[in-house]
Amino acid sequence: MNPATSRRNFLAAGLALPAAASATRSSGSGQTQSSSPAHSSSPALQFKVLGKTGMRVTTVGMGCMITSDATVVTRAADMGINYFDTSRNYTNGQNERMVGAALGARRKNIFLASKCDRTDGASILQELDTSLKELGTDYLDVWHLHGKSSPQQISDDMVEAQMKAKQAGKVRFIGVSCHQNLPAIVDRCIEAKMDVVQAQYSFAQDASWTPAVEKLAQAGIGVIAMKVMARAGGRGRGQQAPPKPPNYGAAALRWAIKNPNIGTTVPSMTDQDQLQENFTAMAAPFSDADSKLLVARLEEIRPYYCRTCGQCDGQCRKGLPVPQMVRFVMYADGYGQFALGRQNFQTLAQEHQDVRCSDCATCAVQCPHGVQVAQQLARAQELFA
Amino acid sequence: MRAKLAFLAGAACVLAAPLAGAATPACNLVPGWAQSGETRYYTADNLFEYMDGNSEGYFSYNFQNMHGVTCKKNGVTFVIDISDMGDSDDAFGWFSDTRDMRQPQAAIGMGGQIVERRLIFAKGKYYVEIAAEPEGDHSADLKIWAAALEKIVDGTTTPPAALAWFPTEKQQSLKLAPESVLGLRLLQRGYVAQYDYGKAFVVFEDTAASAADVMQKLRDRFGAATPVKLGDEAFQTTDQYLGKLCFVRKDHYIAGYSITAEGMDPVALSAALIAKVQ
Repeated sequence: MNPATSRRNFLAAGLALPAAASATRSSGSGQTQSSSPAHSSSPALQFKVLGKTGMRVTTVGMGCMITSDATVVTRAADMGINYFDTSRNYTNGQNERMVGAALGARRKNIFLASKCDRTDGASILQELDTSLKELGTDYLDVWHLHGKSSPQQISDDMVEAQMKAKQAGKVRFIGVSCHQNLPAIVDRCIEAKMDVVQAQYSFAQDASWTPAVEKLAQAGIGVIAMKVMARAGGRGRGQQAPPKPPNYGAAALRWAIKNPNIGTTVPSMTDQDQLQENFTAMAAPFSDADSKLLVARLEEIRPYYCRTCGQCDGQCRKGLPVPQMVRFVMYADGYGQFALGRQNFQTLAQEHQDVRCSDCATCAVQCPHGVQVAQQLARAQELFA
Repeated sequence: MRAKLAFLAGAACVLAAPLAGAATPACNLVPGWAQSGETRYYTADNLFEYMDGNSEGYFSYNFQNMHGVTCKKNGVTFVIDISDMGDSDDAFGWFSDTRDMRQPQAAIGMGGQIVERRLIFAKGKYYVEIAAEPEGDHSADLKIWAAALEKIVDGTTTPPAALAWFPTEKQQSLKLAPESVLGLRLLQRGYVAQYDYGKAFVVFEDTAASAADVMQKLRDRFGAATPVKLGDEAFQTTDQYLGKLCFVRKDHYIAGYSITAEGMDPVALSAALIAKVQ
C-alpha cells in the first residue's frame, strides 16, 4: 500500500457526519458569477482573473488551515479578501466547519475552495457532500484533488467524479493541489481539463517551478500559489534555517504576486496581525528592497533548504545515498535528534558507512540549488561514523 | 525524476527507523489482523509528504514524530498512527482541536473519541489515531484497538487541569489554542471554550509581570477600556469582531469572555471563570 495514499484515505475516513447540517445555497446566481462585487473599490485590494474560470480574485487569498480563531476569517472577508482555501482533512474536518461558520452570509461575496483526499471517484463525491454540509453551502467555487505529485495520482475515475460534481452544480471549477514535483503533473492537468492548479511556489523554487507555472497559465489554467514563504525558518522542513528577517513575509508574498501567471496566493494566516500584514503587502508592488531581502534570504537558506528534487541521487562516485545522508544530518543538527540520525546512518551498507569524503579531492555531487552537499556528507561522517 | 522522488520518499520512510522506547503500533496487538506494507515513520521534516497541508496542524502542536502501520482483517483496513507531540499538553491540545464535540466522547487516556470509522485519543505525550476503510460502522473493532493501543502508550491519563475551570453546560467546543488566542498574537497560548452565549478563554503567561505587560498592550490595542474590579486587574471593552469582552488577570493567567450574547454580562461571566482558575 502506498503510505501516502493510505494516509489521505485515513484523513478522510470517518469524517462523514451522522446528521446533515443544513446546506443552503447562499447565492443562487453564484454559479455564473465571475467576480465578487464586495470591496472592489478599495485601493488596498488588488485583483487578477484566475485563468479560464473568469473569477476575479484578490491577489492575496486566505489559507485557513492554521487560523487560530474564526474572527480572523470573518474579518478577512470584511476587508475584501475574496478567496478562501480549506480542505476536508484539515484538523480532522473541524477546519471546514470553522470556516463555514465564520463566513456565514459572507459566503455569497467570496470564492470558496476545498479539497478531497480519498483516491476513487465514488469516495471523493462522498467527501464533497460532507464538505458542503460542514461549510454550510451547496456549492464550492473550486474543488481540488489534494496533494497530487504524479500523473497517475490524477486518475480518470477521480476526474470524472469532479466533472460529475461540476455538472451537478456542486462545484463551479475543478483543480489539483500539488506540494511536490509540479512539472510532472502539468501535462496531465491540461489533458484532464483542470480549471485551476494550486501549487507550492516561492522565490526559492523560481528556477524549478516557474516554467511549469507558465505552461499552465498558457493553457488557461488558473494558478494559485501556496507555501509562498519557502517553508524555511518556520515549521517543518527548513527548521535549521536562520530566523526570518523583518518584512520577509510581505516580500515573499509580493514575489509570488508579481508573476503574471499567478492568479492568487493562499498564505496561511494565523491571527489578525498576520492578516493585516498580508493585506498591507497586497497593495504595494514588489520593490528593489524586497528583491534584495529575498536574495539575501535565499543565500541564507541555500545550504539548508533541500527542495527534494532528487537530482543529487546517484552522483556520488563512492555510491553514497546522498539525499538520505543529508536527511540524517538534518535529524541531528536541525531537530536535535542525534540518536535518530545515527540510528539511520547505521542502517547504511557498511561500505557506505566506511566512506570518508576527505578521501576524494573533489566532490562530484552538485546540488543545482546550492545546498552544500559535500559539507553535509562530511558532517554526517563526523557525527555518526 | 518521478522514480527518484518515489525512491526518496520510500527510503525516508523505511530508513528512518523507530527510536527505542517509542510507542509503536503493531498489527499483532489484536488477534486476526495482519500487517499490510511497511511500517511508517515520519518527523517534522517529512510529515507533509504523508499528509500534505494537514501537517501544519500537527506542527502547531509541537509534533515530534509519528509511527504508523496499516493492518487488515477480512477486507477491513485500519490505518494506525501514533504521534509523539512532545508533552501531554500538546498531545491533548491536538486531540482537542481534532475531536468533534457533537459526537460522544470516549474514556480513553486523557480523552478520546470513537465514531464509525475513526478513533482518536491522547495519552501522555502521544496522540493516537485510527481510520477505517471501507464505509461502515467499525466502532466495535475500534474499541478493541483502543484498549490494545492504550496499553502500549505510556503517560498520564489525567486531562489538563485547565479543563475543569470552564463551565460544562452548553459547551460547544473546548480546545487548546497553541498560538494567537482569539486571533490575537498578543495572547500566545491558552484554552478556549465556545458556548452559545460567548467564548471563554484562559491564557497562560510565564510570569505575573509578563501577564501584566500583555494586559497593558491589550488596553492599548482596544483603546476605550473600562477598568473593572476583578482579579489582580481587569477591564472590559468592545470590538467589532470580538464583541463585548472582558479581560481579567490573575497572577500569570489572563482569562475572560468575548463575543458575549445580548443580555449576557462579560464581567459576571469572567468573574465566575477567574474564580476557578488556580
